[in-house]
Amino acid sequence: MGGSDRDKGLILVALTICIAGSLLLAGCSDKVSPSPPLKVIAAGSLLFPFAQAEQEFEAAHPGVDVQIEGHGSIQVIRQVTDLHRTADVIAVADESLIPDLMYRPMEDSGKNYTDWYLPFAINEMVIVYTNKSRYHEEINPENWYLIVARPDVRLGFSNPMLDAAGYRALMVLQLAEEEYGDPRLFEEIIVDHFPSTITVSANGTATSIMLPEIMRPSDNKVVIRDGSIYLLSLLAAGGIDYAIEYRSVAEGMNLSYISLPPSINLGSAEYAEQYRHVTIVLGFPRFSTIGRERTGCPIVYAMTIPANAANPELAQEFIDYIVSESARGLPGWPAPMKEVGAS
Amino acid sequence: MKPIFLPEGAVLILAVVVLSVVMSGCSNPSPESLGENWQLTINGTTQKVITMDDLRALPVVNGHGYCVSTTGARFGPYTCQGADLRDIAALVGGAHPGQQVWVSAPDGYLWVFDSDQLNGQGFITFNENLAEIPAPPLRIILMYQQNGTPLSYDDGGPARIAIVSEQPGVITEGSAWVKWVDRIEIRD
Repeated sequence: MGGSDRDKGLILVALTICIAGSLLLAGCSDKVSPSPPLKVIAAGSLLFPFAQAEQEFEAAHPGVDVQIEGHGSIQVIRQVTDLHRTADVIAVADESLIPDLMYRPMEDSGKNYTDWYLPFAINEMVIVYTNKSRYHEEINPENWYLIVARPDVRLGFSNPMLDAAGYRALMVLQLAEEEYGDPRLFEEIIVDHFPSTITVSANGTATSIMLPEIMRPSDNKVVIRDGSIYLLSLLAAGGIDYAIEYRSVAEGMNLSYISLPPSINLGSAEYAEQYRHVTIVLGFPRFSTIGRERTGCPIVYAMTIPANAANPELAQEFIDYIVSESARGLPGWPAPMKEVGAS
Repeated sequence: MKPIFLPEGAVLILAVVVLSVVMSGCSNPSPESLGENWQLTINGTTQKVITMDDLRALPVVNGHGYCVSTTGARFGPYTCQGADLRDIAALVGGAHPGQQVWVSAPDGYLWVFDSDQLNGQGFITFNENLAEIPAPPLRIILMYQQNGTPLSYDDGGPARIAIVSEQPGVITEGSAWVKWVDRIEIRD
């Protein structure tokens, strides 16, 4: 090979490496955009307020594309920890899930998925209804449990296997037994309407409710759907009379609702000890990373930034924005916490 | 430092090698290759481990599948091909009335079907507008082919659960559509 041939050879090698490098960068990454998207994975009950926040945050940050994806809270975290997807912000409807599921090392580094979370909002369970609901002119905060227990009233809630609002609905009904001194309330509203055995066992002040693998009622008294949107669609169509839902969801959808006493609505830190009296044992471990038991506690929303987030600075700005918006107590948003600080 | 000169043939080989490495690093395993080492463990009255070839050798079920997440995100519509869960259960003694079929995946996800569901009963179905509709005849399949091609990893390949019907546009709840299935157990 002569000197000029050697030069050509070197040029060819250099070109090959350049082309390969370009392909590597172009082909292995998302499409080139002015700014990488801010990926937010959030609990379903946050989708309404976060959709508002997305528009306003993007308007204040030209070129930023906020991409919001909704799941049940455990699935939100699993997207990062089990399915190994990247996310910039994780937002869940149960603060305990973040330390339980994310304070552990990532597979490819010694770092934990995260070591902190920011509780930023609270919520409570309410009874939603419409003017098509049976006895809607009669129901009030004092008699709601008597109305809901009537044989011709249809009650809906989310599937406890899939949605925290579902097992929280069951906790509310169990706590109501003690609140109203009616020891057959849970049985009349829930247990009597399932062919599979729902076992309720008491030990002192603690009550454990064991659910079957398949949550399929035996009659129309109780209606279970995978998520809130399906329940509320049924409610609007008159397919159910009442549903147990988060207050923020009721307000976001402009639904009429009955507020429940703080001793049973899972919305008050003062009653945390009382809420702990009820444990729901799910029919099967849907996720191997978390057990079947869910014990009552105040509903506290929390956010974190995973350690492998692609865009942590912008993620922090988004979190700060959500905290400031949440503090305004807007309709459809979970209620602000009195004091917000990272744990 | 002296420059390194390569023979002409070596330059071409180097170019090909570098480009191959780059191209292979950019892509997930092809859907066709996903099934090559896949195995499905089935536990019933006996235990059996089957391969993709074994699964494809079972009676083929074709149907329309379409699912929706708990928050209303729709996935599909798809044309789906796979094997009926009842035929898979039959390999280890079958699933009988009152028994359940537990379907799980290596990502730690588990879903349970009862014998009514194995026969297509007890599912909630929706139309395109997510309004509930009466359920047409449904079948649970372990799908290995979607829209005419082997199932990709992102879609749950090489094998995932799908709930299918002969009628297009029927949406079912997505929580039962277990991705990356590698284990099926029949339980009392």
